[in-house]
Amino acid sequence: MKLISTTFLLGALWLVLISVTHGHLNLKWFAPKVAGTTAAGDKFRIGFLPVTCHLTCPVTDFINQQVEGQSMFEPVRFSGWPELKEAFLSGYTPATFILAPMAMALREQGVPIKVVYLGHRDGSAVMVHKDSQIYRMEDLRGKRIAVPNRYSNQRLLVFRALKQANMTVQDIELVEMPPPDMPAALYSKAVDAISSGEPFMAQTELDGYGRVLWLTKDVWPNFISCVLAVHEDFIKNDRETVQRLVDGIASSGKWLDTTMENRMDAAKFVSKNYYNQHPRLLEFVLSKPPDRVKYTNLALRKPDFEEIEALALQAGVIQKDVIFEDYTDASFVPDDSAVKAHAYQGLQGGEVPPRK
Amino acid sequence: MPTKDCRGEKCPRESKPNVLKNPVNRFAPILLPAATAAIFLLIWHLLVRLSGSDLFPTPLDVARGIQELVEKGLLLKYIVASLFRVSWGFMLAVLVGVPLGLILGWFRPAFQALNPMIQILRPISPIAWIPVAILWFGIADSAPVFLIFLASVFPITVSSMAAVQNMQLVYLRAAQNFGVTGMQLFRRVIFPAALPQIITGIRIALGIAWLVVVAAEMIAVNSGLGYLIIDARNAGKRYDLVVAGMVMIGLIGLVLDLLIRRLERFDEVKWGYGQR
Repeated sequence: MKLISTTFLLGALWLVLISVTHGHLNLKWFAPKVAGTTAAGDKFRIGFLPVTCHLTCPVTDFINQQVEGQSMFEPVRFSGWPELKEAFLSGYTPATFILAPMAMALREQGVPIKVVYLGHRDGSAVMVHKDSQIYRMEDLRGKRIAVPNRYSNQRLLVFRALKQANMTVQDIELVEMPPPDMPAALYSKAVDAISSGEPFMAQTELDGYGRVLWLTKDVWPNFISCVLAVHEDFIKNDRETVQRLVDGIASSGKWLDTTMENRMDAAKFVSKNYYNQHPRLLEFVLSKPPDRVKYTNLALRKPDFEEIEALALQAGVIQKDVIFEDYTDASFVPDDSAVKAHAYQGLQGGEVPPRK
Repeated sequence: MPTKDCRGEKCPRESKPNVLKNPVNRFAPILLPAATAAIFLLIWHLLVRLSGSDLFPTPLDVARGIQELVEKGLLLKYIVASLFRVSWGFMLAVLVGVPLGLILGWFRPAFQALNPMIQILRPISPIAWIPVAILWFGIADSAPVFLIFLASVFPITVSSMAAVQNMQLVYLRAAQNFGVTGMQLFRRVIFPAALPQIITGIRIALGIAWLVVVAAEMIAVNSGLGYLIIDARNAGKRYDLVVAGMVMIGLIGLVLDLLIRRLERFDEVKWGYGQR
């Protein structure tokens, strides 16, 4: 039959053609392998989101490439929490940056996840529209506040702020919304306040329609939203690599907090190579004020987590008391005073080299 | 359009003399849609200007966004990636859906056994399958291919099934009178009779497959037109790129439809449309 044979032939030809083009353009099938480097598939993957809470992930990857010539892992960027979590559950990403309460809840549900290090401290905010009459937490009574996820620490943060203002969650309306959608929602006044990790909060400020109601450091100093977590099997099978990973993240944190030049360089190379955002966004978040988000003091401390546990229990995201020693493995945490910043000189005014 | 079926008043625009008499008609297929598009773009531009919003892009912003993507070499990469996923998902759906539909349409017990299951699975949105796809396939290309396959396999199956079930009995009786049975009957009579309707189903399914590309690429793949939209949302105030992604998806959808319509010109299919 003419139709069938023609269609099959053309269809098969098209499949071959499009597969080869895709392999060439997007999968780099035909790129020559650089001697000494391992293929991307051999490295373990780490999940992260384009937020400042996860900044040490791309920074470690970039600096490893610049200093040692290759990275120890392959960072995988996600757009939302559910996909990030599912990739971890499926074993695709044996290590991931994840919300602390989400890690606790997963552990409670029997997922072999272990928190091994923190990702950052502070770095969130609650923003309102600049034309609104909201100046204090009390003004949010009856208003709609967007948080990234029920397991997000931003939700717990709102709980804590409510408590400080002698209010309860019944006094406001909480909605869940992916962080990238929040600026537009605030702009169109679909919600009265938004809260997520940076830089989506700073974006509303930069674009001239958002106003800071408060930064995390005002309500919950040393706030933790995201942690570095790994699969238990990863610890069992390759303690050495997990240790190298934690050390790398720690050194990146130290490097970021050493000088403002380093932070501005990080804003440039992370924006260009990893987050695909405008550099001025990250530059703004990392400098105005400098303690808007911090990357040192990342050791796992029981009292910090007990505070999160108590709020998580109250917010209903965990059902019963979880045990700190069960969902964390503090054996990889380096001594804070012994952590050295990466020996990387920064961009020194040069262009951002492309990601390998 | 087969000329023999144009019975005068039914399709006068296709007949040659008319075109020669009025040269405007020759360009109408190009001029009319172009005018519609121009008016649409103008209204879009004016509405954005009137609203005073600096978040929503004007058509010009979008054009510049597309130009930026071209200059960075991203547009070709993304188009190829999306076409790759849609091609594989869709072709697999055709390979599974057409035979399955034919079998279900012909063998009543198979229909009774499987049809309820198909009708249960059919209305489930591909977005709902995303978690399952990630758990089964990780986030490599196979996950979006799976989602596109799911979205397009059911329309193809159902249309093939219906094509066999609705076949005119006269073909069957004639074949039986000539003693045609078994595989021969299937190959020579049932399949050709059902083909026009199958092709229509395939055409609709291709539209759906392409429609699902954004949802399928919401999984953390790092290329594709759907990814372009998700990525632009991450990138702060880049709604020009969001709309650029939408425009590209629309334009490629148009091209795909034009291509698949060419299948309808084959003799094996043409007779089926001529009757209507």
